[in-house]
Amino acid sequence: MGGVEDEEPATKRVKLSTEELRGLSNGSSLIEPVSGSSSDLMARPLSSEGDEEVVGSKGVIKRVEFVRIIAKALYSLGYKKSGERLEEESGIPLHSSVVNLFMQQVLDGNWDESVATLKKIGLLDESIVKSASFLILEQKFLELLNAEKVMDALNTLRTEITPLCINGTRVRELSSRVVAPSQFVLVGSHSQDIVRAKSRSKLLEELQKLLPPTVMIPERRLEHLVEQALLLQRDACPFHNSLDKEMSLYTDHQCGRDQIPSQTLQILRDHSDEVWFLQFSHNGKYLASASNDRSVIIWEVDVNCGVSMKHRLCGHQKSVCSVSWSPDCNELLTCGVEESVRRWDVSSGECLHIYEKAGVGLVSCGWSPDGKWIFSGVNDKSICMWHLDGRELECWKGQKTLRISDLEIMSDGKQIISIFKENAILLLDRETKVERYIEEDQTITSFSLSRDNRFLLVNLLNQEIHLWNIEGDLKLVAKYIGHKRARFVIRSCFGGLAQAFIASGSEDSQVYIWHRGSGELIEALPGHSGAVNCVSWNPVNPHMLASASDDRTIRIWGLNELNMKRKDAHSNGIHYCNGRT
Amino acid sequence: MDVDPRHYDLVGINENDIHNVVLSYLVHNCFNETMESFIACTGMKQPDDHLEGMEKRKRIFNFALDGNALKAIELTNQLAHDLLEKNEELYFDLLSIHFGELVRSRKCSEALEFAQAKLTHFGKVQKYVEKLEDFMALLAYEEPDKSPMFHLLGLEHRQKIAESLNRAILEHMNLPSYTAMERLIQQTTVVRQCLSQELGKDTHAAFSLKDFLES
Repeated sequence: MGGVEDEEPATKRVKLSTEELRGLSNGSSLIEPVSGSSSDLMARPLSSEGDEEVVGSKGVIKRVEFVRIIAKALYSLGYKKSGERLEEESGIPLHSSVVNLFMQQVLDGNWDESVATLKKIGLLDESIVKSASFLILEQKFLELLNAEKVMDALNTLRTEITPLCINGTRVRELSSRVVAPSQFVLVGSHSQDIVRAKSRSKLLEELQKLLPPTVMIPERRLEHLVEQALLLQRDACPFHNSLDKEMSLYTDHQCGRDQIPSQTLQILRDHSDEVWFLQFSHNGKYLASASNDRSVIIWEVDVNCGVSMKHRLCGHQKSVCSVSWSPDCNELLTCGVEESVRRWDVSSGECLHIYEKAGVGLVSCGWSPDGKWIFSGVNDKSICMWHLDGRELECWKGQKTLRISDLEIMSDGKQIISIFKENAILLLDRETKVERYIEEDQTITSFSLSRDNRFLLVNLLNQEIHLWNIEGDLKLVAKYIGHKRARFVIRSCFGGLAQAFIASGSEDSQVYIWHRGSGELIEALPGHSGAVNCVSWNPVNPHMLASASDDRTIRIWGLNELNMKRKDAHSNGIHYCNGRT
Repeated sequence: MDVDPRHYDLVGINENDIHNVVLSYLVHNCFNETMESFIACTGMKQPDDHLEGMEKRKRIFNFALDGNALKAIELTNQLAHDLLEKNEELYFDLLSIHFGELVRSRKCSEALEFAQAKLTHFGKVQKYVEKLEDFMALLAYEEPDKSPMFHLLGLEHRQKIAESLNRAILEHMNLPSYTAMERLIQQTTVVRQCLSQELGKDTHAAFSLKDFLES
């Protein structure tokens, strides 16, 4: 891009030492006082250690370029003296003196001189010189207009700008500006965006974009390079489960396994029988657990990620098999096995309503996305929907349905997903009545919907977990194996930052965690002494996981404490906690 | 009448009709002397009070053609006082001609003042903006005849405006704004083109009046 690439052999360069001043705007040797530096020290030979042309172990960084962008960064940070000192010590001026003069003239508004200096910079091709001159003269023109020196401005236009013979449209706009200055702008014309002359430093920035980067180093170049590196590191991070703010320049970013919850932080023993189901609320502040002991416990998550019991909800006559949080997290639905569905108020623990149907038992429950009605799977193979007050809204009965258990509804409120046959899941559009099916070779035991509603995680009898894309055509996209399942319903879920991980319970008492994209098994966490039936990953805190087990306990998992102590504690106000017992 | 188009030469023509066509043409274009001779030769009835109107229109037309738009405007206002108010675009065109003349004679500051006083308010209306910008752009050039808008300073442009003005005046005086001659020629052209397309002679070029007259 206009920069002169050095063609001369390295030996010659070494001999001439820094008087070469490579990478400068004009190829001629430039032994002039650098007007940017405060002293009049000229380019002098460097100390012996640093005469090589390249720095860094890979040999791709040119010394001169490196020093120049550092100097530029120093100046932009406001460290003018340091910048000058660097130029002086390295003997590499940020800009050649011609360019420095040019920049100063632009900032001082010495337009005609700056145009003349521009031509002396050399190296620039004709069209760049013209475009840059145009920008400068346009600024001159606009400043004259602002000072109400209309005839002078017109003169500049006629005698200096138009003869450049470029950008006729702009010339036209400027003409109109002469006639109709700021008080009345021609309606609909383009002069509306040239109301006031821009600042001179803005002009300098625009000129810099026009000129080759070797002539005038672009603003914030060093920052840009560093950011680029950080983003590349982040994108390459395989187990990325941390926030951007935590990225440091000191080491390459790599989440590694230490960003995945893997240590038991708490064991909750308040259930008196197997815990079958649990789920964090959407805002990550509560956890609800359902047990064979016929109760449901609402737990509260505090700012340090400690979990404490808030309410124990009693009332079901049968074991509670599932719960569902209302969209605003103020209410909870619980479902007794083949019994009834109860609606509870979270803050008071009071039961607000009981939904039942004579002669049949309800097997699952869920909320509509707008929180105005609830739905439930019924053991007579139908799906029933109620208003909150208990009035029945709708009852859907499929012809081929063999049974209904797990039920989910998508956030558009239109599609209902349910297991309706041993090895098939039904996706029903309530409005269009269109039915889609996911068919598996094995019996399906449970499923889970991703937050973005695009994917479905399906647990199978044969100990595989399948990930299906349910947007558009139904497609199997990944399989996760490793956990154990023989007799019971085991549930899995999405979790972590951007739901990049899959977690599952297992009959071997461990919690399994896979990387969703690669399918790689990352962790198998021991701790429970009975089958782990269900896991839930806190939607708001990517470092918090909860598991429910036949051993009657719930375990809360977090980051490994040892590793956390080493890192900087960034407190950023959200539910982000380090390891803690 | 059921005449075969190929035998158009059998259609009868009234001598008077031809005279009227010629007369209306002469009147429209203010050829008053020619008109008087013609009337004398053919023994036609002199049209009522066209003579005075013609004289005035002729002067206005010539001023406009020469670029003396201000004079043309003055006389037009005398002759038909609210005509230019009702024909805003025409008024704009005339003012632009004056502006153009000022630019042509390199009187830049005068042109600038004139534009600011008289022309810029038209810029508030969308349909004038482009034309206005075209004219204003002339100011940017030291040699406006070499600019991309040089045509705005030319005779052809002024002729067009002068003719528009003429038509507007005629209309204002409740006279036909287009001559019978013009209309007839326009219609003939269209008819002949249709015919040649219909009869499948697509090797022929479109009807050319010039060729016809020379044949």
